[in-house]
Amino acid sequence: MALSMNDQPRAALTTTDHTAPRATPARRALRPMAIVVGLIVLVVLGMTLSPSNALELQYATSLALFAVATNLMLGFGGLVSFGQGVFYGVGAYTVALGWMHHSLSFGEAMVVAPFLGAAIAVVLGALALRTRRLYFALLTLTLSQLAYVIAENQANFTGGTNGVFGSMVPTWLLDPRNSFLFTLALVAVSIAILWKVTRSPFGLVLRAIRDNRSRVEALGVNVFAHELAAFVVSGFFCSVAGTLFVVYSQSSYPELLNWTSSGVPIFMAVIGGMYSFLGPVLGAFVYEFANHFLIQYTQDWQLVLGVVLLVIVLLRPDGLAGAGSAVAARVRHLRTVRATHDERPGVAETGEGDAS
Amino acid sequence: MAQFLTEAMGTLSDAGSLFVVAAGLTLVFGAMRVINLAHGSFYMYGAFLMTTFVGTSSGLRFWWSILLAALVVGALGLVVQLGVVRFVVGKEPLTQLVATFAVFYILADIGLHIWGDGARTVMAPLAVSSSFTLAGAYLPVYDLVIIGCAVLVGLALWLVLGHTSLGWMIRAAVDDPEILQSGGVNLRRLHLGVFTAGALLAALAGAIVTPQISVAPGMDQSIIVTSLLVVVIGGLGSVVGTALAALIIGIADTVGTLVAPNWAATFMYFAVILVLVVRPWGLFGTPER
Repeated sequence: MALSMNDQPRAALTTTDHTAPRATPARRALRPMAIVVGLIVLVVLGMTLSPSNALELQYATSLALFAVATNLMLGFGGLVSFGQGVFYGVGAYTVALGWMHHSLSFGEAMVVAPFLGAAIAVVLGALALRTRRLYFALLTLTLSQLAYVIAENQANFTGGTNGVFGSMVPTWLLDPRNSFLFTLALVAVSIAILWKVTRSPFGLVLRAIRDNRSRVEALGVNVFAHELAAFVVSGFFCSVAGTLFVVYSQSSYPELLNWTSSGVPIFMAVIGGMYSFLGPVLGAFVYEFANHFLIQYTQDWQLVLGVVLLVIVLLRPDGLAGAGSAVAARVRHLRTVRATHDERPGVAETGEGDAS
Repeated sequence: MAQFLTEAMGTLSDAGSLFVVAAGLTLVFGAMRVINLAHGSFYMYGAFLMTTFVGTSSGLRFWWSILLAALVVGALGLVVQLGVVRFVVGKEPLTQLVATFAVFYILADIGLHIWGDGARTVMAPLAVSSSFTLAGAYLPVYDLVIIGCAVLVGLALWLVLGHTSLGWMIRAAVDDPEILQSGGVNLRRLHLGVFTAGALLAALAGAIVTPQISVAPGMDQSIIVTSLLVVVIGGLGSVVGTALAALIIGIADTVGTLVAPNWAATFMYFAVILVLVVRPWGLFGTPER
């Protein structure tokens, strides 16, 4: 983005993103194809599933955007924000309150919400980014809780504890297929823009800051401005995801803003793999469908989630995507070993040790 | 004057129990550089165990129950340290936060199985459930119990951390763990002891406030946020800062309720923001590298 166009050290900032696949022609073609196939599968599923399952798929799709937007900071910026629920909630409340107070039509609210989220992100980011690492995580958690408390207590404006619910969505969006396609289109465009952002010079500088902050600072880059920009872009798209929550549920309530809600996209990114761009998408689908189906059989969703998170964070911090590419690397490695050193099968054991 | 005394007493008592919980959190951080998001779960378990142990009785059993609840949760802390936290010491903040968040979820779920989702109450013994008059104000005796407990905890921590060899080991555990270990100190055992003590403090606070609150699921979630506010204001790892910050939060809450009831719950957050704008590392903390 424009911010980084004048940053001279761009060439020096070779990315150390070791999870990025080597761009052989085959792989380069594979990725867009996989995305197109994935989109087609999603559309077909959304059109053919029963309305309740299609609605669930729609919700998971909107959460995928929430997770990817959060991961712009988490995985690419190395900034652990436990406050993204604020922007999710701002998105949802903008639509809901616009309807309740007859001040914004649905269409207007959908346009206003992301910019409102971004504006709030400028203020909160300027405040929170004064702190570093753990303090940043705790301060954003605090801000999330502050937003929750305000939404809960200003009942005259926000509807209080119960939140806002009602027919705030235009009638054409009440059809499950329309609302699914609408959600999918908005999420796909948003994620494509976020992809462009991470591949831009700005995205590279952001990753460089994550990997070696003091060096980037010494090179003369305005680290604070870059982190703030990441915070704002993330806030913008978290708000888009929040508006899609209203499309899904036709309601908005204070719990969307609190710290456990802010934890959800982090969990999705961690489960799916925060060092891969689409890992959080995988995480969002896994998380939401596990949640949806487990709730039908057991009340112990929290227990399952807790154990899964523990296992992943202790054993596979790079998540499912990381585990997947490690398995793929292992298979490729074994294949080459078998082809070249067929007479020495022990080589496979001493080869790439990072698969464990 | 009477109203001032009533408010002051209530504020001190709230700040006192808050200090005991937050002291446990900051003690663990001070020795291990881990923020334990499941700390509030220990507090909730302390309170729920209290309801189990006291039951409907009133009398001496109340005091024994506090002790027992704290000890049982201390043992739980031992398990959590050995099973989870041990592995995230020295890791990235994200790893630590997600791992302890996971413990928070697991403990919340188990708690629901044991105690259900209803609210419970505990009666304080008659001897401390009355009120006394001072300058025309009726003041609950039990507030004095909580304040006394907080003062004792504060004194004990000050003595142990500042004036014993155990104290300098705990401080050295963060400053230079390698030198400490080469001096023959078992760092793992030290971490285990500190984490257990932290859990114990949380449970002590949870147990001791039971006569004044209704014990229900979800109190783990709200107390962890408030105690995070306290340790962030005070500066992570500082017991003195924690005491001061608990007072600030208590006062902010009371003043908020008196001045703008509608906005009361937000006052403590603004106190945090105010402090962090001036000193991003808290009142008594040290800047992070």
